[in-house]
Amino acid sequence: MMNLHQLPNQRPNEHVVSFLRRQWFAILTIVTAFSILTGIPLLGSWYFWDTIQTWLDHPVIGPFLVILGSIYFLSIWLFAFLEFTDYYLDTWIITNERIISIEQNGLFNRTASELDLSSVQDTTAEIRGILQTIFTYGNVFVQTAGEKSRFHFKSIDNPEEVKQLINRLVQEKRAKKMT
Amino acid sequence: MFDFPDINIPIAVFLIVYGAYMLFYVLYALFNVYHLIRYGVYGFGMYLIVTIFAGGTIILVAGSVFLLMEYDWSYPISLDKTVNYYNEDLFPSL
Repeated sequence: MMNLHQLPNQRPNEHVVSFLRRQWFAILTIVTAFSILTGIPLLGSWYFWDTIQTWLDHPVIGPFLVILGSIYFLSIWLFAFLEFTDYYLDTWIITNERIISIEQNGLFNRTASELDLSSVQDTTAEIRGILQTIFTYGNVFVQTAGEKSRFHFKSIDNPEEVKQLINRLVQEKRAKKMT
Repeated sequence: MFDFPDINIPIAVFLIVYGAYMLFYVLYALFNVYHLIRYGVYGFGMYLIVTIFAGGTIILVAGSVFLLMEYDWSYPISLDKTVNYYNEDLFPSL
């Protein structure tokens, strides 16, 4: 378990400045999908209750239906939990020394990487589309010197502010190095 | 005329399928919880989520078991009578 007061390979005088996850809109997507997948069969059952009741009273079709329904709802519940885990484990930590990116793709793929603030070349904030504009979330890309790959903060809240924060920390670190 | 062979299987075979699914569910859920605890950030939220997930699972499984207990699991599925399942009793609106 990771503790924000005790980061892996923590440097002297290093402290967490910002801890980021995808914006709450990601959670809303999971909740909406869960509600639709749960609500439609429940509404259907309520509307056709007479027929469903007849099926449930049948000695063979009844247990088959109950088991099928149980498997269906348990699968949705598990799916929602897996999606939440994917959301919860995607984190970006900005400290006064470095940026740590931890990304979970499904259950079996996990990428943890870090970069020193002194190696940041430029940062880009990106807000695309109506939803991202209305709810002020988007992506931040951090380009490092000598590296082709970029750090990608996905669907985070207030990407402009995060970009400014990183730029400020980079300048502070460079100023500290100069002195 | 073609006659179906008279084979009788107890409906308890459904429970084998259900049991296999539950095994898959438990393993996958435990693996997921392990991931959360191993790699998640320490805090109250994580324990809350694991508790909500476990609670939801218990409610769903308990509800299913409660409904399943009402059936006679020794009742045979007769292949010979399968065609009889499709009748006006099952589809009263037809």
